Amino acid sequence: MSSAAPTRQRGVKVLLHGAWRSFAGGAKEVTLEASTLREALDALAERHPSLKERLRDEHGKLRPHLALFVNDEDARLLGWENARLREGDIVHVIPALSGG
Amino acid sequence: MSAKTVRLLVGTKKGLYQIQSDADRKKWTLLEGSYGAPAPIHHASYDPRDGSMYAAINSTWGGSRIEYSRDMGKTWTVSKNPSFPQGSDRTFYQTWHVEPGHAKTPNVIWAGTEPAALWKSLDRGETWELNQALDDQPSRKEWVPGFGGMGLHSIAIDAADPNKMQVGISVGGVYTTNDGGASWTRDNTQVGAPNPTSGETPRPDVFGCIHKLLAHPRVSGVRFMRVHLEVYWRDPGETTWTYRTTGLPTHFGFAAAIHPRDPKTAWCIPLHDTKRTAEDGIAVYKTTDKGATWTRHDQGLPKGAPLESLREGMDNDEFDDVGLYFGTANGDVYASRDEGKSWERIAQYLPYVTSVHAATLE
Repeated sequence: MSSAAPTRQRGVKVLLHGAWRSFAGGAKEVTLEASTLREALDALAERHPSLKERLRDEHGKLRPHLALFVNDEDARLLGWENARLREGDIVHVIPALSGG
Repeated sequence: MSAKTVRLLVGTKKGLYQIQSDADRKKWTLLEGSYGAPAPIHHASYDPRDGSMYAAINSTWGGSRIEYSRDMGKTWTVSKNPSFPQGSDRTFYQTWHVEPGHAKTPNVIWAGTEPAALWKSLDRGETWELNQALDDQPSRKEWVPGFGGMGLHSIAIDAADPNKMQVGISVGGVYTTNDGGASWTRDNTQVGAPNPTSGETPRPDVFGCIHKLLAHPRVSGVRFMRVHLEVYWRDPGETTWTYRTTGLPTHFGFAAAIHPRDPKTAWCIPLHDTKRTAEDGIAVYKTTDKGATWTRHDQGLPKGAPLESLREGMDNDEFDDVGLYFGTANGDVYASRDEGKSWERIAQYLPYVTSVHAATLE
């Protein structure tokens, strides 16, 4: 039996910030099971279907101006959607700011 | 029967505002609270068939979306996004126009988007289906972006027959269907336009840059079209566009309106073609002879003000005399109760106004 598949963890908390709360009907946080950031976002969209089209375009690509952090780390530095999650991690979903 | 009033849906670069008139259209009230800010609202419309409202909310965060309201804008619901098919090289970017369908097709709503495409809803805006026949046009490869992007923004449904309609695309020209969108033909034949003095051939690219195309709401076949550097008229039975630009101070512009009853009357706001502002002060030009002649109207408008009104910036109500309304880039909204002869400012200090839609309520 292969051990390549990541082990699903419990107790990952996703915190929604700013506009993302309104897209989720006012929800501020969601606790779910996931071993990668991609799994966490998929589970989040299952929990709040209104987020599905807000997180990704029709081809499945994550939308721009979306900042994702795992605990205090920018997810881009952790492999973006492939970032591994551990028990107790906190994922922040933030409307990214840019420009002046 | 209650008295008629007007509700203006004012789209801005930071949210949707609503302005309500009294029965005389003399007192205007900016309703409390905007919706959707900081997202720009390219267009919002009211459907007189069932009282729904639609808003094209083109948000930086979470992507663009169309929302609908069944309670006069108190609450809004997000549509399922227009979605290009899997395998397409295009992604829905933003909505430029939402057009309620014909009275004979009660649940149908149309939307025009960027990338340029036409979408049809059969369920009052809850879901959207790509019009494949227009998308399959071989000439689509010739469409190019204009200054504001490449969008389908005008959806002109015939007064008598919902199967007959035109769409206007920047920059892609006009397409006509006579079978409800099952098939389309290019519809860009113009007559009367002067050849360029340089001796060059007329510029088909410019004619392709449609700025606003309107169908008369009661007289089948009448169309008024604001193109990049011209305006055109079409009468019932015609299959060409007649050049009607002579008499306007500048040839460029976006905002346009057509009289809801008289099939010979229309209005537009000319702008300078490079400055994009009114050259000799903001003014509304009116024709009562299908564009053969134009008359300037600026009474009540700020003298010499170089204002700008965009593609969706002008609309009319259904009163007699017709009320006209336009918004400006500096956040003003102006109203006329006498078919454009005189004007007053009814709102100011709004964000940059991108659209004005006048709903006549009874």
